Amino acid sequence: MNEKKFFEEEYMPKMNRIGKITGALGVVLAFLPALALAVVYGILPQPAALLTAFIAGASSFGVLWFVEPISYFSVLGPVGTYMAFLSGNISNMRVPCASMAQVSAEVEPGTEQGSVIATIGMAVSIVINVSVLTVGVILGSSILAMLPAEITAALNYLLPALFGALLVQFGIKSKSHTLCILVFAVLINIGLKGGIFNWLPGASNYLGILTSVFLSIAVAIATYNKKNKEKA
Amino acid sequence: MNTQSALDIANSPIMWIACGIAVAVVIVQAVLFAVKAYKSGEKVGLTKKQMNKAMKSSAITSIGPSVVVLSGMLSLLITVGGPIAWMRLSMIGSVMFESIAAGIGTNTVGVTLGTDTLTNEALGMAVWTMVLCSIGWVIFATFSATRMDKVQTKLSGGDAAKLISISTAAVIGVFSAMSAQHLVSLNKNSIACVLGGLIMFVMLQVSEKVKALKEWNLTISILLAMIITALLPF
Repeated sequence: MNEKKFFEEEYMPKMNRIGKITGALGVVLAFLPALALAVVYGILPQPAALLTAFIAGASSFGVLWFVEPISYFSVLGPVGTYMAFLSGNISNMRVPCASMAQVSAEVEPGTEQGSVIATIGMAVSIVINVSVLTVGVILGSSILAMLPAEITAALNYLLPALFGALLVQFGIKSKSHTLCILVFAVLINIGLKGGIFNWLPGASNYLGILTSVFLSIAVAIATYNKKNKEKA
Repeated sequence: MNTQSALDIANSPIMWIACGIAVAVVIVQAVLFAVKAYKSGEKVGLTKKQMNKAMKSSAITSIGPSVVVLSGMLSLLITVGGPIAWMRLSMIGSVMFESIAAGIGTNTVGVTLGTDTLTNEALGMAVWTMVLCSIGWVIFATFSATRMDKVQTKLSGGDAAKLISISTAAVIGVFSAMSAQHLVSLNKNSIACVLGGLIMFVMLQVSEKVKALKEWNLTISILLAMIITALLPF
């Protein structure tokens, strides 16, 4: 298959190279504001204080550095992973945009076409996200004052509505599977709320996504294998 | 060392330039990937029409969440200044993480973010803590992507149909978890989540008949769910 060969031998190696170079560059350049403070203004934190803060931060977020890329990988794919973690705002923007792009182009996730479409969709969402923030930061807090209170209040409901709608959009094709996973996710979240996972390191909220994604994958693989056996 | 000076420094042209370069990397990466993907699309069997549709749909989907992130940035903007808030939410950002990380940084030197006046020392701590605590994601994601890809290929045994099942299931897992978080909060967020789902269900049926509606399904569902929830009298 020519398409597959092109994708695997030409396209992906190039994308991986772009991803690794820009990712590394991003890590280095993320320090620029901190260095600017140090070099231009002589503001440099005491190493001991910084270490304390870093340890406090790492113990709340450190697990997420590993758990999130793993949890989202099957959704994002390699190229999506480079983009989503450099730009951030993953669950609230990158994943919805990549998935909706796949829906409108009528391609399946996990395929070559799906990967290319998700990449295009995510890039568009990054450009729009940064543009909106740039306009916002230039106008400053004055635009917040401009918005009526009703709208700022309504904005709080945007993300819950988005997730509910997306769950139905993607779950409708496999209703019983989705319902099982949702019930499981609700139970895990009740547990999280009740504090029964507090013994886990860091903010244990990540448990919801991690376990739901992998349970869903495990169920899908089991169902798939069963179906194939019946066929055979 | 008064407030004025620390926030003046945080909003200085030099900080704008430093943060601007960092944000530029994010845009450059997105553009490089998009151009390469767009050029390769036809070689993997996509049409220009499909790719343009994808761009349009992603653009429509981005707007709402971008405004939410914007409103989050505005609160960070007051505490750590424009450039840093702008950079941190454009790069490896999430509103919740940034405010917490900045708070941890300033607390260590005895300054409560948003309450106490920002000192130079606290500003430095906030910036360094935010950066140090966020690069972990990029480092791990960037340098494990190809390895995770190999694991996933192994998991699917090279079966393309199985890989589709895995990815589709993962999408359902993510949105189940995100919805569940709001469902168990038992407040208006739960109502918005249920309404978003219900309206989407209706929209999916309607748009089967009125195809032109299809790409607006999500926007209509979110907007209606938001408005109805906001109008509820409690």
